[in-house]
Amino acid sequence: MRLLVLGAGPGGYVAALKAAQLGAEVTVVEDTEVGGTCLNRGCIPTKALVASAEAIHKARRLKDYGVDVSGEIMPNLSRIMERKDKVVSTQVKGIRSLFKSWGVNLIEGKGMLLTPEKVEVEKRDGSVEIVETDKIIIATGSRPAQIPIFPFDGEHILSSDDALDIKSIPKSLIIVGAGVIGCEFACIFRELGTEVTMVEMMPGAISTEDPEISRLLEKELKKKKIKLMTGVKVEKVEGRHDGIHVGLSGGKELLAEKLLVSIGRSLNTEGIGLEAVGIKKGARGEIVVNEKMETNIEGIYAIGDVTGGILLAHVASKEGVVAAYNACGIEKRIDYSVVPAAIFTSPEIASVGLRENEASEKGIDYATGHFQFRALGKAHAMGEITGFVKVVAERGSDRLLGVHIIGPNASDLVHEAAVAIKAGLKVRDIADTIHAHPTLSEGLMEAAEDVHGEAIHVPKPKK
Amino acid sequence: MNFPDDLKYHKEHTWVRISGKKVTVGITDYAQDSLGDIVYIDLPEVDAEISKDSEFSEIESTKATSSVIAPVSGTVIEVNEDLEESPEIINEDPYGKGWIAVVELSDPSEIDDLLDSADYERYVEEEAK
Repeated sequence: MRLLVLGAGPGGYVAALKAAQLGAEVTVVEDTEVGGTCLNRGCIPTKALVASAEAIHKARRLKDYGVDVSGEIMPNLSRIMERKDKVVSTQVKGIRSLFKSWGVNLIEGKGMLLTPEKVEVEKRDGSVEIVETDKIIIATGSRPAQIPIFPFDGEHILSSDDALDIKSIPKSLIIVGAGVIGCEFACIFRELGTEVTMVEMMPGAISTEDPEISRLLEKELKKKKIKLMTGVKVEKVEGRHDGIHVGLSGGKELLAEKLLVSIGRSLNTEGIGLEAVGIKKGARGEIVVNEKMETNIEGIYAIGDVTGGILLAHVASKEGVVAAYNACGIEKRIDYSVVPAAIFTSPEIASVGLRENEASEKGIDYATGHFQFRALGKAHAMGEITGFVKVVAERGSDRLLGVHIIGPNASDLVHEAAVAIKAGLKVRDIADTIHAHPTLSEGLMEAAEDVHGEAIHVPKPKK
Repeated sequence: MNFPDDLKYHKEHTWVRISGKKVTVGITDYAQDSLGDIVYIDLPEVDAEISKDSEFSEIESTKATSSVIAPVSGTVIEVNEDLEESPEIINEDPYGKGWIAVVELSDPSEIDDLLDSADYERYVEEEAK
């Protein structure tokens, strides 16, 4: 069976490898670089920058750890960027060598469906190749969404892609959109020394998260002296000699050296031949798929951001695996019941399962448990005491429904909860499991105990 | 434990020093002692309206995060910006350099609801039991 995968992001490359492992003859068409947004313009380069930002932060606090430093702690942007590029190129090479190892044929160029069995590829040298195939997986992903009245110019009005390749540290930066991407960049740039102002239409930062978590994040942003303006709209953007002027609803005006727009993602559905083969799209232009990742056209699957579902790399990868199995004749369905998500702000945020407001909206009789990291010896030893673990559980059955964490290493801590939810475990199962001391994981154990009012390291409640 | 008798106290462990229609507000010695080492205070904004018995600031210590409850209602006309960089001043001098805000009273009669130092001291002794 010949399979063509259009796009080599975290959805497409994983689908290609899985299909090759299952014995398919796989061709991947990619018009930029393998790894897609995640590896080249998203998850990985931002995390490399977060690591540099954390290093600066820690270096500035060395005195707190009993380390004397002579001289000033200064970020060196070109070295930070070199390090980031190295991290990315190592991972890119890794995917390329996996392709080679599993016999996946990579064609570098822009692909367009002509029929369900024929894809035209315009290669980088301008030549055109027609690839014949039996099945197709579309994994073309998404790109930063722009605001039509002030499109990206790469110089003063930046997308997240542009922000990853800046040549100098801006003195001041306005970020439009205080969602996940906006907040991550706010933390990175602030640590580099930039004056950051965030402008958000919604009433809070990362309003998709649990309100208690958003509130703590807002406080931490305030501590870093990142200015957050909520409930306001950008009405005008004007570049003048002294910088970018931004007019807000309500009449206020802001001025900064650069503007970063992080308002969401646009789906890459144009120019890939969807219309030619009659693939059905939804209201937002997303490719409509079923649980087997099948489109309305037999033999054509779609996965990842282009399907408009949960825009996360790890979801795209799982969808890629499901699509690969189905394309190879082994029936599999995607399961979205447990999708952990991590946000690499400082402190980190991670969540899995139901939020309290969702449990309430669904009419579930639920209970919550909380535990503050500052009550753990390990958090004090690390010098990272901010944050908490929040557990949502069903009363009666005691089933664990959701866990929401803000604090040190939250993105790693969340997976104990992910497995527990997937396995249908009770809160008591976590509470009764011995957790190693001293670790941050004790926070989840104590938050689970707190659901039943049995946490050890909390003061006696007042009458 | 110190309970100066020129101050008035709220049961949520805040104090006021009255000077006409303006009052200075802070947390009590008992509050700072229970909290332990203070590492951050989220100061209210100047011009913010605060209302008696509601949270108007938040304090973080190495042990806990705690709401600061307004002892009176009114408008914040000044905040102690020194606390931004050095919140530990509250531990060192809760009734002096560790003041939090100056508030212009919207209802001066609310002062009558507050405790004097002897009553507050008794209240704290009860609570500590």
